[in-house]
Amino acid sequence: MADEINYKRIKMKSGLEIHQQLNTERKLFCNCSTAMAKRETIMEVQRKLHPVASELGEVDMAAQYEYLRDRIFNYQVFRGESCLVELDEEPPHDLNRRALHTALQIALLLNCEIPEEVHIMRKTVIDGSNTTGFQRTAIVGMNGYLRYKGKKIEIAQVCLEEDAAAIVEQGEHTATYRLNRLGVPLVEISTGVMQGFSPEDVQEIAYLIGIIVRSVEKVKHGIGSIRQDLNVSIRNGPRVEIKGIQELGILAKVVKKEVERQMSLPKMKHETRAVNVDGTTYFTRPLPGSARMYPETDVKSITITKEYIKGIRADLPEPLTKKLTRFKSKFKLSNDLAAQVINSKYLELFEKIVKNRRLDASVVANTFVSTLKDLRRRERVDIRQLESRHFIDLFNKLAKKVIVKEAIPDILKYLAKDPKSSVSAAVSELNLEVMKTSDLIRMVQALAKENPDLNKDKIIGVVMSRVRGRVNSEDVVRIVKRFRKK
Amino acid sequence: MPCFLILRLPLFLVFGGQLYSPEIEKLLKQKKVKIGSRVRITKGRGSYGGILMPQTDLGNPNSIVLKLDNGYNIGVAYDKKLKLRKLKGGKKVRFRPSRLTIRPDPTKPMVSMLGCGGTIASRIEYTTGAVFPVFSPNDLLLSFPQLKDIANLRGHKLFDLLSEDITLEHWQVIANETAKAIDKGADGVVLMHGTDTMHYTAAALSFMLQGLPVPVVLVGSQRSSDRGSSDNAMNLTCAVTAAAKADIAQVMVCMHASINDDYCHLHAGTKVRKMHTSRRDAFKSVNVLPYAKVSYIEKPGSIEYLREDFNRRNGGRLVVDDKINSNVALVYTHPNIKPEFIDSLRAYDGVVIAGTGLGHMPTNPSSDNLAKSILPSLKSLIAIGIPVVIAPQTIFGRLNMNVYTTGRMLNEIGVIGNGCDWTPETALVKLMWVLGHTKEPNRVRDMMLKNYVGEISERTDTR
Repeated sequence: MADEINYKRIKMKSGLEIHQQLNTERKLFCNCSTAMAKRETIMEVQRKLHPVASELGEVDMAAQYEYLRDRIFNYQVFRGESCLVELDEEPPHDLNRRALHTALQIALLLNCEIPEEVHIMRKTVIDGSNTTGFQRTAIVGMNGYLRYKGKKIEIAQVCLEEDAAAIVEQGEHTATYRLNRLGVPLVEISTGVMQGFSPEDVQEIAYLIGIIVRSVEKVKHGIGSIRQDLNVSIRNGPRVEIKGIQELGILAKVVKKEVERQMSLPKMKHETRAVNVDGTTYFTRPLPGSARMYPETDVKSITITKEYIKGIRADLPEPLTKKLTRFKSKFKLSNDLAAQVINSKYLELFEKIVKNRRLDASVVANTFVSTLKDLRRRERVDIRQLESRHFIDLFNKLAKKVIVKEAIPDILKYLAKDPKSSVSAAVSELNLEVMKTSDLIRMVQALAKENPDLNKDKIIGVVMSRVRGRVNSEDVVRIVKRFRKK
Repeated sequence: MPCFLILRLPLFLVFGGQLYSPEIEKLLKQKKVKIGSRVRITKGRGSYGGILMPQTDLGNPNSIVLKLDNGYNIGVAYDKKLKLRKLKGGKKVRFRPSRLTIRPDPTKPMVSMLGCGGTIASRIEYTTGAVFPVFSPNDLLLSFPQLKDIANLRGHKLFDLLSEDITLEHWQVIANETAKAIDKGADGVVLMHGTDTMHYTAAALSFMLQGLPVPVVLVGSQRSSDRGSSDNAMNLTCAVTAAAKADIAQVMVCMHASINDDYCHLHAGTKVRKMHTSRRDAFKSVNVLPYAKVSYIEKPGSIEYLREDFNRRNGGRLVVDDKINSNVALVYTHPNIKPEFIDSLRAYDGVVIAGTGLGHMPTNPSSDNLAKSILPSLKSLIAIGIPVVIAPQTIFGRLNMNVYTTGRMLNEIGVIGNGCDWTPETALVKLMWVLGHTKEPNRVRDMMLKNYVGEISERTDTR
């Protein structure tokens, strides 16, 4: 039934909020590192939050009081990555100018108007993810747009804000957060209301925004560095917000499932939902009214001069959207694969490696996009150990046909465990030298002779298990077919 | 709606002034636009609708601050081409007091809450961020409903001041108002006070309120009250608990004991000092243990006593002895301090000098060519009847002026303080109070060295 939905007819409206961490050396309001590399906490601090004034008046105060009464928040402290500012024990320092510069670059790439004066605001948050009870945020761009399939997609606003602390664990009355993410500069891009698009369009627009954002130098790459919130509503229905989608590739699915869910319900409320791995969502809390914000009086407002903007504009990087088009046409990569390569931190390395014409770019792209992800997720391989030279060496050997592409995962796994080793050592250690075609033919021939009852697929299975990682699977299929027709 | 700013006035206007340039003020007047009005500003390509905000006092007075519909503020620089139009809507920025009615519970103690600073109990108006200093027990209860489970509250605001502007005259007002509240049957008094000089006030009240029958608790907060993380909730809860229940009839300071929101310490008013610019556990007891800790998370409201040497609640008669002399100076000695500077202190009725180490100042006993002694200058101060008191600039530890020649020389000329472990601030306040009673040198010396309210500890505890 999902395929039958006519998204135009049900008047699906959607909106995106894309959050991108910036890769400045220091945080937005203090001099802590943004590396988030430390593993050991040096201390834990215990805090409570109490109700704060609200537009909703005394009733909401009472509700907040009930919610917060027995709730305790624990904050993990990491050396060099959090200080008294994150602990709400010291007022914020001046706004990080490097982060402002990067945010303004992004705003300009998205064709925004830049305010003449940037005012830092406090946005109330009482789930404990901000030690202060609010998030510092400022608008740096408004009324922008980007082009998609000949249409203008409105960019309502671009904000520069501090990232929240990351949740470590959540109990019934307690929650533990990591402070090293708190205060990392974050750019939030909000689209206007989008109507007349399919779920796939929404996903592509999200990719497009991500790619434009990553055109500037100081943005972070990798897991959790870009996150999406999604708003969806259908015909006269209320708006539902789905938060924290880290995987762009499931966005279309999330939209579809949410539309199906909304269509199946007779009555609905405005609410906020979070996303499951499979793209379905669950209820988290009623959607707050218009965000309650008031001025951050500890930080001076910043005047943005015309000369300053002129300077940034003159030095604006070329948007990666051009690269996306080139990857699709020249390397025949699919839109998703091309977008994922551009969004990955291996973009530069990818471009260097595919200069070698003998390599199939989609194999290289898939290695960086899927193979590494599988190794990390399924086999818990620490892929951060892998260095550029490992990949360069690996793809050199592939181009020279010393190895086949099927050997890539095992070699990478080996190198991640022993980064000082080399590709050659991995190949000989794991016995992954490519098998000569004549040897493969002889092996298939013998197998076919000894096992007259086995069909084609069974033989392929046996061969693959014996020579895994040493032959091209296409070659095995081709050769087996020569000796066994059925 | 409501919230309390205990302590700091954010660097923001308190309603009234808008901090805009005359050109902008003129334009606003002409268009009959006020703070809180809905307006549309058009300038060049840009056109922005929103609510007119006041300019912050750190902001550029020549740009107009607008709160957009998405809640964000932006500034639009004023120039002649800027067009401003008043729209319908918007709202008047004003303070609405709480309409709570709470019946007193006769089984609960009565705690009197006195506001000693303008922003001690303030509410923020969230549209503009304007701060309204307010004070009434009902407004307090709106933000901190837990307080009604501890005690019946009454009280009022004494004055609107940042703590750095508090003077000796304010101490006298606080002392007398505290006595009045106790006379009217309060089982304890909570004084909400800015933190910067809270330890000076605590020391002054300790000397002024003699024969105290109930606890007097000073409390403040290090984080503004608009935020959910403000330490005001825990500090106030613990302070009201202490005033209602603690069996300590002393002047105390109740503040966070650590950077966790777990418990507060009750510090002796004469032995406490603000030791950090910003942390919530800025207040520390110096050279002694705090009287007690008041729990907030585990066994909330329970009081654990850490010492025994304090006065218990009693039926005695409180005497306010608020005579005090403001003409006293507190100075630091330092390398190359000039004898002429010490000479200039003749204008005062008394001088406290924060000495180095065990109680030293440059006296040049080895007759070095480069060193300069201030001993003759000190001597002539004392000779004309100006008491010179010494306190440790190390803050922690006890003076001992018998160990080095310098100390012995200072002791010999009559510098007061050998063997004392008071903080420079407590020494200052005590000298002010003593000089309010007498200027006779021997009497001053005797009173300074007499231990009135634990300002000099008999022994230094190993923690």
